Amino acid sequence: MIQTKELSKVYRTDEVETTALNKVDIQIKEGEFVSIMGPSGCGKSTLLNILGLIDSPSSGSYQFLDTEVANFSERQRSKLRKQNIGFIFQSFNLIDELTVFENVELPLIYNQVSSSDRKKRVEETLEKMNMMHRAKHFPQQLSGGQQQRVAVARAIINDPKLILADEPTGNLDTSNGNDVMKTLVALNEAGATIVMVTHSQFCAEFGDRIIRLLDGQVVTENLLKKQKQML
Amino acid sequence: MIEHAIKLALRNFMRHKNSFFINLSGLSTGLACTLLIFLWVRDELRVDKIFENDDRLFQVMEHQDYSDGILTTNSTPGPLGMSLEEEIPEIELAATYLYPASYNLQVGEEKLRAVGTYAGKNYFKIFDYPLMTGSAVDILAGANNIAISETLAGSLFGSVEEAMGQSIEYEGSDIYSVSGVFKDLPSNSTQQFDFLLPYEPFYQENIEWMSNWESNFPNTAIRLKKGAQAAVVNGKIKDFIKGKAENSRVSLFLQSYSGRYLYGRYQNGKQVGGRIEYVWLFSLIALFILLIACINFMNLSTARASRRAKEVGVKKTIGAGKKALVIQFLSESIILSFLSLLIAVGLAGLALPQFNLITAKEIELHFDPGMIGVLVAISLITGIIAGSYPAFYLSSFRPISVLKGTLRSSMGELWVRRGLVVFQFALSFILIVAVVIVYKQIQFIQDQGPGYDKEQLVYFNRDGRLEEQSTAFFTKAKTMDGVQNISSIGHNLVGQQNNTRGVEWDGKDPEMTLLFENVRINYDLLETIGVEFKEGRSFSRSFGRDSSAVIFNEKAVEIMGMKDPIGQRVRIHGEEKEIIGVVKDFHFQSFRQEINPLFFQLSPENSWFMMASLEKGKEKKGLENLKSLYEEFNPGFAFDFEFLDEQYARQYAAEQRVASLSRYFAGFAILISCLGLFGLSVFTAERRKKEIGIRKVLGASVTQILSLLTKEFAQIVLWSILIGFPIAYVLSKNWLDRFVYRIDLAIWFFVLTAVLMILIAVVTVSSQAFQAARVDPKKYLRSE
Repeated sequence: MIQTKELSKVYRTDEVETTALNKVDIQIKEGEFVSIMGPSGCGKSTLLNILGLIDSPSSGSYQFLDTEVANFSERQRSKLRKQNIGFIFQSFNLIDELTVFENVELPLIYNQVSSSDRKKRVEETLEKMNMMHRAKHFPQQLSGGQQQRVAVARAIINDPKLILADEPTGNLDTSNGNDVMKTLVALNEAGATIVMVTHSQFCAEFGDRIIRLLDGQVVTENLLKKQKQML
Repeated sequence: MIEHAIKLALRNFMRHKNSFFINLSGLSTGLACTLLIFLWVRDELRVDKIFENDDRLFQVMEHQDYSDGILTTNSTPGPLGMSLEEEIPEIELAATYLYPASYNLQVGEEKLRAVGTYAGKNYFKIFDYPLMTGSAVDILAGANNIAISETLAGSLFGSVEEAMGQSIEYEGSDIYSVSGVFKDLPSNSTQQFDFLLPYEPFYQENIEWMSNWESNFPNTAIRLKKGAQAAVVNGKIKDFIKGKAENSRVSLFLQSYSGRYLYGRYQNGKQVGGRIEYVWLFSLIALFILLIACINFMNLSTARASRRAKEVGVKKTIGAGKKALVIQFLSESIILSFLSLLIAVGLAGLALPQFNLITAKEIELHFDPGMIGVLVAISLITGIIAGSYPAFYLSSFRPISVLKGTLRSSMGELWVRRGLVVFQFALSFILIVAVVIVYKQIQFIQDQGPGYDKEQLVYFNRDGRLEEQSTAFFTKAKTMDGVQNISSIGHNLVGQQNNTRGVEWDGKDPEMTLLFENVRINYDLLETIGVEFKEGRSFSRSFGRDSSAVIFNEKAVEIMGMKDPIGQRVRIHGEEKEIIGVVKDFHFQSFRQEINPLFFQLSPENSWFMMASLEKGKEKKGLENLKSLYEEFNPGFAFDFEFLDEQYARQYAAEQRVASLSRYFAGFAILISCLGLFGLSVFTAERRKKEIGIRKVLGASVTQILSLLTKEFAQIVLWSILIGFPIAYVLSKNWLDRFVYRIDLAIWFFVLTAVLMILIAVVTVSSQAFQAARVDPKKYLRSE
């Protein structure tokens, strides 16, 4: 599903040149659950953003669903993104002015799903995330765990092939964090490909393998025994 | 999508009440101003466009060629209309009409004064004012016909139906019979009168002077045949009068009848605008005010961008295209603009009575489809202009930088925002300077005065028995309390009214043609109005031969090139006259014009107006006494007087209206600009709280921080003054150049305005700056 070759990202300001990613080669198959780890500033988020088609690489190749997307325009990336990728953020990134229902509904609107269909699917998804009773609330009326559940609901509403999670448990306590991990595992078992950036070794081990980054380069990749039974 | 956008817009308004309120009040004030100006402009453009054959109606105009330039006038020879109709095949109809004045009418015991004039028999065919009874064909056909207005019919006879065929006594002598009643003339008709008498009989009665092709008196209007070209007719009539009178220096041309209202100013034979300039000026002001309000919206929206950035980032990540976001932000501004429109319509409705008072109009707010269309269009355009920059700016955020929190206002945006505020304040500066200068010039005209004591002068018709017994009237009036002096004069001394080129003197260049104002007066007139003498004396009863004496103004003496004018002789219309005095120049025309040569002749019989000077502080008493004396002489006549200074001020009515209107609009412009500045200061204060916190920790005092914050805004205002200054200077100079007699464009007008603007700006931002300066540093340092 994902294949990068010598993927690099360089940030330039007037005086300084910073290499965030340095010739990264990774491969992720459909149905895999991959964790990415590394210290702050190692390029984890940059990699995730490029994989998620929010950002474009400075050089190298990125094949997403067998298509070379490294040189895609913003418009092309946007189109591909909204159909195939769901995002979960550390800080939830819900829109404060919209209710739970409307936040979850948003991707469907941008994918031009009809209004009756939208209602059905949002309800189903909220039901699945056990958030239906909060549908009319605004994000600031919810706890962190609840907000993240809404964010997850929003990420999966479109049945994306790829789910990208950027420290999804970073702002949550252990119990809420575990809930989110459970959900991700369930989604993975249902067929979704998941790439997750995390600082927590514990969370990382829910994945099939861990990619470790240091200074913009992949240092190790280790396959894991499944830890799902721990939950 | 749209539904989502609307919902989000409304919630955003609710959440950010401050900026919503600032935007709403700014935009609605701006829209209200624009709406009022739109109504005014529309009304101006519709003046006289009330006749069915508007495109075929023309006023016959004259260019009169003199040594000192071409004078353009609508006064024409008396027989012109009749001859044009006969001789020029393209002309279907012509009507001659005189300038309306106030006359005494009497029916039985009912006496009143009404405004009327003489008009040719085709008048109602050309100007199709709706008739209630009578027909356009013969309403003015009979020698004793009188056409009266609906209101006049009501006050004289009780109703329109009663009026037909009834008799009316005119000026205490002639009897006319009502041949028709016309509807009261609409306020957007430049001709205004209560009754019309037939012109042709009047012409016959006065044929001796009315038939003279070289004298100009009535107006002539014509209607062209269908398909006839005005240009062709212009070619044919150009030398029409020269064909009738060999010595004539007049060339004729047609001006569109409805066009003459807006395009009425001629300079040396060239059309140089007129009221249309004010139409443009106010349209521009409306646009400026709206722009200023739009800029507020742009500034506040982009300043608040960081708060919206997350929303944009998330939406883009999820898959929102730029287009969807642009639509969302644009609909937000358009919704705001329509909300403002609702308030603006209310505000305009409230302001309309006052607005009508200032503009001397009768504008009403009617919501016909056309009007609604215009309102919707204005709001839509306003919404789009106001929303465009924020929409494209916000929607172009890169989601990655938003979500990473690295979004920072670039210097570029900061400059755009400052630039917009500079633009706003530059506009406000120009408007304020304009207001100050227009005000000073009008005040200058008022203070300077014409050169005689216009304040206490009152004049009224010398009619009825006063025509015969004026001397008795004078004798009695002079003894009355409150009356200082009284005499009579041919016309009221405001504007060029009676001029002649029949002045000859020794050594005059035979080629030279010059117009002299010819004022016929009675004894004591010059003393009554208080004109100052440069040399010589006034007319006096102690000199028997003063009927062959003449008094010139300085300008006339200068033009005639006389060293010692007193005692010299000139010929006026061939008659020998001796110069007995020279008066100092005074303004009998508007300050726009150079003072022209003028002479006074003693001619009590042709002095049709009584002119009295009242004692200062006893004006009321004096007037009452004059009124009772007048009624004693003229029982049943209504005493209809006018103060000369009111008539004098009327020459500048347009300027005065512009002055007071621009005062209001400049006020609104600065108010809206300040709203924006205030909004921006709220934002800046908030944005810089952390910086202020650090500064305070490092030992900055409240005063230092205060000056830090205010300085930024003061600089913006300074820039706007720098930009506004040259533009304001050029515009004011242009306007002042229209006046031959004008104030100097002093630098202090600009300095004063500048100081005022800086003061206003500082006051506007200081409350926020003060609040920010007093922040508790630890509170804001902790938050990041």
